[in-house]
Amino acid sequence: MRETHKGHLGREARVAWAIAVKDMLTYYTRPPSLMFGILFPFSLFLSFSIGRTAPLSAQIPVLIAQTLFFASSSIGPVVIPMERANQTFDRFLTSPVSLLSILLGKTLAGVVFGIGISIVPILVGLIFFGSQIANGEALVACMALSSIGFSAMGIMFASIPGQSPGQVMMPLNFVRIPLLFISGVYTPVSELPSWGQVGSMLSPLTHTIELARYALGGETFFGPLLNISVLTAYTALFLFMGIRFHIMNQRKE
Amino acid sequence: MSAGNAIEVSNLTKYYGNLLAVDHISFGVKKGEIFGFLGPNGAGKTTTIRMLTGISIPTEGTATIMGYGIQHQSVAVKEQMGIVPDVSNVYNELSAWDNLIFTGKLYDMPKAYRKSRAEELLRMFGLYERRGEKVQGFSRGMKRRICIAMALMNKASIMFLDEPTSGLDVQSVLIIRDLVRKLNQQGLTIFLTTHNIEEASQMCDRVAIINHGKIAAIDTPEKLKRTVESLQSVEVAFETTPSGGLKDLMGLPIVSDVVKEGDKFRLITHDPSSVLASVWNYAQTNNLKVITINTLGPSLEDVFVKLTGIKLATESEGMKMGRGSGQGMRQGRERQ
Repeated sequence: MRETHKGHLGREARVAWAIAVKDMLTYYTRPPSLMFGILFPFSLFLSFSIGRTAPLSAQIPVLIAQTLFFASSSIGPVVIPMERANQTFDRFLTSPVSLLSILLGKTLAGVVFGIGISIVPILVGLIFFGSQIANGEALVACMALSSIGFSAMGIMFASIPGQSPGQVMMPLNFVRIPLLFISGVYTPVSELPSWGQVGSMLSPLTHTIELARYALGGETFFGPLLNISVLTAYTALFLFMGIRFHIMNQRKE
Repeated sequence: MSAGNAIEVSNLTKYYGNLLAVDHISFGVKKGEIFGFLGPNGAGKTTTIRMLTGISIPTEGTATIMGYGIQHQSVAVKEQMGIVPDVSNVYNELSAWDNLIFTGKLYDMPKAYRKSRAEELLRMFGLYERRGEKVQGFSRGMKRRICIAMALMNKASIMFLDEPTSGLDVQSVLIIRDLVRKLNQQGLTIFLTTHNIEEASQMCDRVAIINHGKIAAIDTPEKLKRTVESLQSVEVAFETTPSGGLKDLMGLPIVSDVVKEGDKFRLITHDPSSVLASVWNYAQTNNLKVITINTLGPSLEDVFVKLTGIKLATESEGMKMGRGSGQGMRQGRERQ
């Protein structure tokens, strides 16, 4: 007699969590995760900050946003191609759980990684540069929505058929790096031309930077309500597209 | 098809772009039987298993497993089955114990139950003492056993095994075959794909032969063998292998083909008793001492070769050479 817990939603949540924990234990310390999730954002930040006249403390929100962006979106593109290569991804597809829960589990692994890494610049700001949290709710919203959204973005890109992280990272970086230029990282949104401001508004990274800045007592161009709305919309879109693309893969496989 | 079948497949089809990999196949697998799915490489065996187990979505057609539709009731279907793919897809970074526990979590088994089940299976497979070791250090046979143990975690009703003994040492092969038989005796339905004709012949209640994405035949191994009665044979070994024996034996009446297998000749015929007499006369005429002589029925391999149209490369080359030199089609052949 088969023994399982009762309750469909509870079951889906438990399996998603089990998948996330397995990914955390297995893939967080893999070289591609460390390189694309930690080394990459910190290197970009340092190369951009060194030599600038603006105080480093003012750049802490940018560093928080960049680490959230790169760390959260890197786990799916590392995990899924490696699991395809070992055929362990098939284990999820043959287990009695929905594709949504499988991908939510994978997303959750990226969320925890993104939040874990971005806590470092927050602590550095608070301890060494005198940053203060002016709005805790905004910081929580920024961390939660951005990490879920960017992690889901990584999962969506991981639907690209490939058996090595590089095959997914390359197209992903074609999107991630250009976003840095229109999201207020190098040039404040207020100083961009009007077409640039429209582009900036459409970039999810803009809203992460703005929310982080607002949470640490800075000013926002679009306002926290629009920041939260856009990030929520992108999160839903990335999750939806991720599922659609993975189903398309199953049709092709 | 019977309503009591464990698996019902109807018109199942898979295209990869323009390539038709599985071509509108239909069959049923009875509850409690070992069903063999036999075919050459690229015939569509693994594609079929991938569709039935939910890894791949069919282009057309339907299938039910234990009465549940594979597309619309996929979660219920997956609760019924255990899967051993052609590659041992274990988590190399995890220990043997953690592999089984994680599988239990995927099936949402309660904590105490998944622990006791993992212990039971690791003991059953002789791996309990090494439960804490990472699987990446295990041999191929041990990984295969872990993979089968993972497939058994949820006490499935149907087990899909894709080439379970391929590439394993003899000991592991025997252990796995014995285990499959025992599981079947306990009521588990087994769906087994294999290249190994002898394995299918020994283990399966029924066999389907698939070729170019189509089911070429489906029946019990013995009934399939009876469909090629013309492939009966006489096997003979002489004390000294005669030079030109292959050609001489080929010239005997009602012998359609001769295959040299090691120190033996196998004469294919529809009338073994007449050929026995001819071989005896041939031996006496040529002063040859017969060491062994047997009549053989057709093997499942003969059925397989006939239905799939597979020919040995040397045979087809020999035929071409025969035509070119005007020697006719009846050449005989040598099997290594």
